Amino acid sequence: MAAAARALRVLPRALHVPSATRQLHTSPVCLKARAARVRAGKGDKLVTYEQAHAPHHIGHRKGWLSLHTGNLCGEAGAAARALEDAFLRRFLAGTFPGLLLDEPVLKRRGNLLVLCALLARALPPHKLYFLQGYAETLLGHFYKCPVRLELQTLPARLPYKFI
Amino acid sequence: MAARRVGAGCWQRALWLGRRCRLPGGRESYRSSSSSPALGKTVDNPQVTQEEIVLPRRKTWDKLAVLQTLAATVNRDPTAAHYMFQDDPFLMPRNAANSRLYSLSKESGRNAAKYIIKNFPQYFDKTFAEPNVPSLMPQPITPQAEGVSEEALQERVHLRMVKESVDMFDQLLQAGTPVSLETTNSLLDLLCFYGDGEPTPEKEQEEKEDLEEPGVDASEQKAPKRQFRRGAQPGPRWRENNHAERIFKIMPERNAHSYCTMIRGMVKHGAYSKAYDMYIDLLNERHKADVHTFNALIRAVPYLKDKFVERWELAKDLLTHMAQQKVQPTLLTFNSVLKSLRRCGGVGRTMSLFVLKEMEALDIEPSLASYDHLLSVYYRGVEAQSSDIISEVLNEVEKRSFTAQDPDDANFFNTAMQVCCDLKDIKLAYQLNRALEKGDNWKFLDVDRSNGYWSKFFSLLCMMEQIEVVLKWYKEMSPSVFYPSPRNILDLLQALDAANQLEVIPSVWEDVKQLGFSRRQDLLEEFLSLMSREQHPSEVQLAFAKCADEIKGVHEAAGPGQVPLEWTGSALGHVVVLFSRAGRSQDAWNMMEHFQKINRIPTDKVMDEFLSCAKQNNCPDEAIKMVKLAASLGLPLSQRLKSRTEEEFELSETQKKALESIRWDGDSSDSDSDSSDSDRE
Repeated sequence: MAAAARALRVLPRALHVPSATRQLHTSPVCLKARAARVRAGKGDKLVTYEQAHAPHHIGHRKGWLSLHTGNLCGEAGAAARALEDAFLRRFLAGTFPGLLLDEPVLKRRGNLLVLCALLARALPPHKLYFLQGYAETLLGHFYKCPVRLELQTLPARLPYKFI
Repeated sequence: MAARRVGAGCWQRALWLGRRCRLPGGRESYRSSSSSPALGKTVDNPQVTQEEIVLPRRKTWDKLAVLQTLAATVNRDPTAAHYMFQDDPFLMPRNAANSRLYSLSKESGRNAAKYIIKNFPQYFDKTFAEPNVPSLMPQPITPQAEGVSEEALQERVHLRMVKESVDMFDQLLQAGTPVSLETTNSLLDLLCFYGDGEPTPEKEQEEKEDLEEPGVDASEQKAPKRQFRRGAQPGPRWRENNHAERIFKIMPERNAHSYCTMIRGMVKHGAYSKAYDMYIDLLNERHKADVHTFNALIRAVPYLKDKFVERWELAKDLLTHMAQQKVQPTLLTFNSVLKSLRRCGGVGRTMSLFVLKEMEALDIEPSLASYDHLLSVYYRGVEAQSSDIISEVLNEVEKRSFTAQDPDDANFFNTAMQVCCDLKDIKLAYQLNRALEKGDNWKFLDVDRSNGYWSKFFSLLCMMEQIEVVLKWYKEMSPSVFYPSPRNILDLLQALDAANQLEVIPSVWEDVKQLGFSRRQDLLEEFLSLMSREQHPSEVQLAFAKCADEIKGVHEAAGPGQVPLEWTGSALGHVVVLFSRAGRSQDAWNMMEHFQKINRIPTDKVMDEFLSCAKQNNCPDEAIKMVKLAASLGLPLSQRLKSRTEEEFELSETQKKALESIRWDGDSSDSDSDSSDSDRE
């Protein structure tokens, strides 16, 4: 009887398996119903064509902002392209502060990277050329590929509607 | 262009932008008609489509229309700026100064990026490209070898660190380690090449790169070019007892290479007599000089002797030494000889042809630099040479496509065009243009040089050709190939005057405004005098009056920081005349009042014109004001004006009385007008 009690005392410790626990899995909030949609305002918020259309219009009323072959069947490197895109957009936003009127469009043709940006006319042209030469050389050395920056200037943002 | 989206309501604005892109200066772009019909319906008449529907007539195309349109796209676009600029109306340069500024800013942006890459190489050295691209990797700038040793010295020389390598050399000598002859020679090479200065001095604002070979694609890399052509050598001058000389003196043994380097360095940096002494030393030591040294010495000849004959004798001596030492002459040798002959006057003229024959005998093809020196020898100065050299040279140049072999090649086309202008021969200029189009020859003209070249060509055209040809070239060439200079605009105006086509003047004025010349007094005077000389039909007169209005705006303070231009008497008079002829009497009167402010007196013609204008508009008050002004200025003309007013106008009683009451003293005012500051033309 005493031996059985001693064995019972040992038993619960042996049954305690540390890995068999229950946990709660959490992830950051992905609000798919709110991504890339401009919320309606009082009617004075200027919205460009790009901003006015929601992501489900891509391919129907909108084009893509980044064009590369990484997502085709059998092609690799889509994630690397996405990372490069993120860096390039931040870089352009910082190099042309306050001047980008719309999202830059990134196109990849073979080795060549073409960045098409729409700028405001706040800076005089020679400063824009300085920034263009700087951006092209720096990005070319960073990504080890030829980079071309195509700029187009507008007086102001092009309104599609006022929300 | 799938990703470029334009909103539906903004199609018109994009089109309008596109139009502004295509029509600088108000000139018609001659695109073929295939692009316009569908668009013309929506853009041109937005109001009409609401009220009535206008069905466009069916267009008939001839069989070759498509091919012609395609062919038109293949040639150079005459409305576009250079390829290196963005095709945007805000970013396109409108004149030569802007084009230079934008290309230099782009280059300095590149230099800024290179500076960052050089100073932070740790962010740029990942090699993930397959295969690796070595030119996009950061260059190593810090030498690897530490300590005082010969390898460290060699590495520093290789990295072009002038000061560090000299310090290292001194340290080695102090420590007593012998430095080998080769290393010392390479150190001497470095010092002589840079002339004891640094390769890229930090405080220089503009990098004075050497003019790169025109063989390299010159469209993308525009090195900043010096504006003035200094007679002195580029780079620092050779100082007394600088590092190179000091090291040379303390070298235990010297070979031919050491002497040659020193000579070449001295010639490059302007110490010519020293270079010649060093050459004598070399001969005394029984060394042999190499071909580059001889080239340098021959280039130094004009600075060593003064008389022409002596210079030529010295050059011949050097060439004889070359033959004795069995050194084979190259193209650069002969080019140096020709360059020295440029400064030998009459001797040069006779000898240069012998030089060319020698080149032919040795089977060396002359380069463009040889022809350039030849032309300079024969056509320098104001004496009109009656030699035919230029046509022979052009016949030779037209035949083949040249490659860059000598830094002086780039000057050929400008020199040749200058000669054509001096000889006033348009056929030679056309031949030169054909030579420019052959093969790779266009690469010899970079942006600055090509501006000068086409500028001279255009002046020649204005002088020699018919006005239709001139205008055709003008439309095609500016602003895409060259930007007209003020001299060109004056020539164009003279040509228009000679051909009696003064109605083109308003469009030339638009171009002048774009080019930024609208504040030049001489141009403004020329415009105004041409416009106001004669009477023209009324639309032309209205256009002239508009130009006069804009010129008037220039003379007044417009905007912050702009100094108003001073009026001259003649300019003011012309403006009044133009306003009067167009019937704008109020503006004309405002101008008349300016005369007193600048202390000038209007001419008779001006007054008469104003009176005629007042008569046309039927304003006798204006006429009376005019007569009052004339009388107050004390002009003898005012009596005639008064009588004219009485005859031609129908005056009411009050007006007649006012006219009578204008006092006019005949004698005293004459003396007044003599003493006052008057400007009569």
